[in-house]
Amino acid sequence: MKLLRVAVPLAVWLGVWQIAAIGVGQELLLPAPLAVLRSLLEQGRTAVFWQAAGCSLLSIFGGMAGGVLLGSIIAVMTVFSPWADWILTPAVKVIRATPVASFIILILLWVHRVYVPGVISGLMVLPIIWMNVSKGLTETDPLLLELARTYRFSRRNLLRLVYLPSVQPYFAAGVQTALGLAWKSGVAAEVLCLPKHTIGTQLYYAKLYLETPSLFAWTGVVICFSFLLEWGLNVLLKRRHGQ
Amino acid sequence: MIFMQELTVVLGEKRILDRFSLALPTQGITALSGPSGCGKTTLFRVLLGLEPLQSGRVEGISPRDIAPLFQENRLFPWHTAIRQIEDVLPKERRESARQYLTLVELEEESQTYPEALSGGMARRLALARALALGGRLYLLDEPFNGVDPERSVRILTRIRSLDTPVLLISHERAVLDQCDQVIALDGPPLQVINP
Repeated sequence: MKLLRVAVPLAVWLGVWQIAAIGVGQELLLPAPLAVLRSLLEQGRTAVFWQAAGCSLLSIFGGMAGGVLLGSIIAVMTVFSPWADWILTPAVKVIRATPVASFIILILLWVHRVYVPGVISGLMVLPIIWMNVSKGLTETDPLLLELARTYRFSRRNLLRLVYLPSVQPYFAAGVQTALGLAWKSGVAAEVLCLPKHTIGTQLYYAKLYLETPSLFAWTGVVICFSFLLEWGLNVLLKRRHGQ
Repeated sequence: MIFMQELTVVLGEKRILDRFSLALPTQGITALSGPSGCGKTTLFRVLLGLEPLQSGRVEGISPRDIAPLFQENRLFPWHTAIRQIEDVLPKERRESARQYLTLVELEEESQTYPEALSGGMARRLALARALALGGRLYLLDEPFNGVDPERSVRILTRIRSLDTPVLLISHERAVLDQCDQVIALDGPPLQVINP
């Protein structure tokens, strides 16, 4: 049943795509699914493909990890220190409201293009994590906090027994939302900055040389990675929750 | 003895304690009984240092010496019954966690999470945790809420054997009959009916 739930919509949409490709009749505008698959298999046999996938994953996830860490630290600071709240909250809100394209161009002026996708992923993730962790901290049950005080919990136990379990669902939801955003914004930054051996750069060249099947193939790779990473994260979170 | 002298607590517009004085023994089991909302829980919170006093003072006990059971269970939803007890025990005493579950007749539920416990079971678990915390005085706010009278009496007998003085709030006849002293209260403002 689970397999059918994936296979049926996939078959339906592949069918629609095939019919549309036949209708359009030009591979340059809309290649057929088989042409895209062929292109993907060809790419998959080259070292460049795996190099691009590896480099993109590494830089985008490095940036995302940095954004998660920094967002969490800033959340703790803004919740517990009115001064930090006063100074840092407006800055995070500005980051949240700034268009990703503006950030990509600005960051490109300040850092080497190799680091831009990572920095962009981190910046996109930071406000989401900040917001979720802040919400988790402020919504920690005050009755449990009072209990911790009267039961003379050490700071370590207060963190371990009260704050971390309270924040955990908010944090997990934040990371799930941030994952897709980090991946998409990171690839967009690669397309604009063209660092060597990345998925975004390959996408750009596919567009430049009008290799539409290759463009579709690389887009498929981005989508597949996105699904795979989301699935991996869900498995990880479920396992942690089970513990 | 614990001496409460001229305690005044105002919550919002309401004067819950108005120059209230009482001396409580620090041995055996003492019960405070009175209608809901008369100020008993506020008095407990004053002893725990959780309610600011407009005037007056408490002598003979410090909040740090008290192991309280709050009116609400305040269990950690993310921990099993046995973990709730282990959480409040120092490392070297963690082995004794099970004996507190036995004391409140919950040994069968050691791996159960609070959400799967009935109201009475959750109350007993919260009580076991307060007992495990230990101190110079157990301060128990309606410890047998939702627990049947026979079981309440059995558990209270075991608590007596721990040799730590108990100050509890209860309305249940069966529980009050087991106490060494029952102080009847009324209010607000809180006042002693039978000193």
